[in-house]
Amino acid sequence: MAADVEILSRRGRVTRLALAVYGTLIYVFLFGPIVLLVLFSFNANRYGTFPVTAWTLKWYRAAVSDYQIHDAVATTLKVAGEVTAISVVVGTTAAFPLVRSRLRWRDGVRVGLVLPIMIPGLLIGVSLLVLFTGPLHWQLSPQTAVIGQSVYTTPFVILLVSARLQGFDRALERAAADLGANAFNRLRFVVLPLILPAIIAGALLAFTLSLDEFIITYFLIGTDITLPIFIYTQIKFGITPEVNALASMLLAASLLVLALAFALPQVIRASRRAVRFGTGRRAARITA
Amino acid sequence: MTDAATTVPTAERRRRVLPAVASYLPFLPAIVLLGGFFLVPLGIIVCYSFWEVVDYNVVHRWTLDNYHYFFSVTAYVRTMWATLWVSLVATGITLGLAFPFAYWLSRYVPRRLRAPLLVLAVVPFWTSYLLRVYSWLTILGQKGLLNRFLQWTGMTHHPIGLFLYDRSAVILVLIYLYFPFAALTLYSSIERFDWDQLRAAMDLGATPFGAIRRILVPQIRPGIVTAVIFVFIPILGEYLTPQIVGGTGGVMIGNLVVNFFQAAEYTRGAAVSLLIAIFILLMLVLFRRSLSTREAYGG
Repeated sequence: MAADVEILSRRGRVTRLALAVYGTLIYVFLFGPIVLLVLFSFNANRYGTFPVTAWTLKWYRAAVSDYQIHDAVATTLKVAGEVTAISVVVGTTAAFPLVRSRLRWRDGVRVGLVLPIMIPGLLIGVSLLVLFTGPLHWQLSPQTAVIGQSVYTTPFVILLVSARLQGFDRALERAAADLGANAFNRLRFVVLPLILPAIIAGALLAFTLSLDEFIITYFLIGTDITLPIFIYTQIKFGITPEVNALASMLLAASLLVLALAFALPQVIRASRRAVRFGTGRRAARITA
Repeated sequence: MTDAATTVPTAERRRRVLPAVASYLPFLPAIVLLGGFFLVPLGIIVCYSFWEVVDYNVVHRWTLDNYHYFFSVTAYVRTMWATLWVSLVATGITLGLAFPFAYWLSRYVPRRLRAPLLVLAVVPFWTSYLLRVYSWLTILGQKGLLNRFLQWTGMTHHPIGLFLYDRSAVILVLIYLYFPFAALTLYSSIERFDWDQLRAAMDLGATPFGAIRRILVPQIRPGIVTAVIFVFIPILGEYLTPQIVGGTGGVMIGNLVVNFFQAAEYTRGAAVSLLIAIFILLMLVLFRRSLSTREAYGG
């Protein structure tokens, strides 16, 4: 495939150049607004936009010392923690029968389980609002927001864990059973360690999704505020440099968790391999 | 394991049924969460949309009033059509922009650079949705980059409102929001396509257009369908983008839903929500043949 690119005609080379320029422009389009946002958060200019007058950290200091933001951060983290716990437990347990049992309407169930991802968050938000305030008479609180967000994040965990279970060699479990391991020990020492990377990735993904979630939370949290909601109420009055600073920090936080979500499973796998090779080599030395 | 027990039918049946039930048991939490807090509320929304409000109380009396009301207000109906139009245009442009990008990535970029470049293009999709909309304010806003720049260079003296608060701003931001997803799905299907087949078709006398239509498109159709569905559907229920960059000119049906619910007109809001849900259902039915969940689950 790469070879036929090399022997291209003049026209082919022009095409290649044009596409490369196009690709570069796409990246400028994708990252331009975000980069500008971060750039302006360091700008001394009070309007939070062009022109750059001087570089400063004062907007970060202002954001960090704002009490309202402290509260919002606390609420956001609490909600995200609870959402992560719920979606990991519910998502992981649901992935097992989904992959392993002979389910009659497997395709239907699969579509049903990912429906909350496909359907706009707005509909999840309003329908839960009606359920909570109507038939259930529940007071809106961070807890109701947790339920709403979990509906949306759990399918992601289900997807990740079932993808991992799908590639799982069940002979390992049978071997453990033959060696006398009971169901609990098989789960604890064979299955869970093998699907752990997917569970961790799912947990981190649920956490970032929860950190950034706006619309469901907006309807269900009542009088409390999370960071996205705080930012939204500030945006209504236009761009401010403090919000730019806050937004940059939130971006950095979600990128960090995201990087962990992708890197951690690989680190775990790599470290296990290292351990296995290490013990293998030691065993070899002993026998030699 | 099971053959030996045929002489004891009842015990055997019990032994067979119990594990079956036990194997479904792990579904229970998911059924409670997604059934109780996703399907049931959607069902309630359906009911609400056909119920009446008397003195601020929802009365369980079946009526079509909520729908009559919606369709009797021209502004609402116009907003509904505008929403469909915006979804259509934004989806079309997003896919149109994503296709050459995916083509470039899979055909012209050296193999070892493909994965990192793809990840780079998808990363924005996982960062805050609200912040990505907000970031356009710094460019398009009254005090945004574009206006400041024009004033600074002396091309205009007053800020131009033109860049913001209309439908085209909404479409631009929507393209920005959903491009990564379209690029990812198109890339994964284009990458698997064997381009020699296209050349073979043309050697056998097919026109370039004919070869693309009959060889390329059928093979990458699942990718195209997934991209269309996952871009079109969320845009139908869009609230934030029109709210932040759309102003009065860019109102979409999602904003109507929020307005109704904030005004505590639950039954009317429910009716509009159901309209969105019906459009989504139509999309899914329309594309059900090409839609496969197998890949998403890694099977």
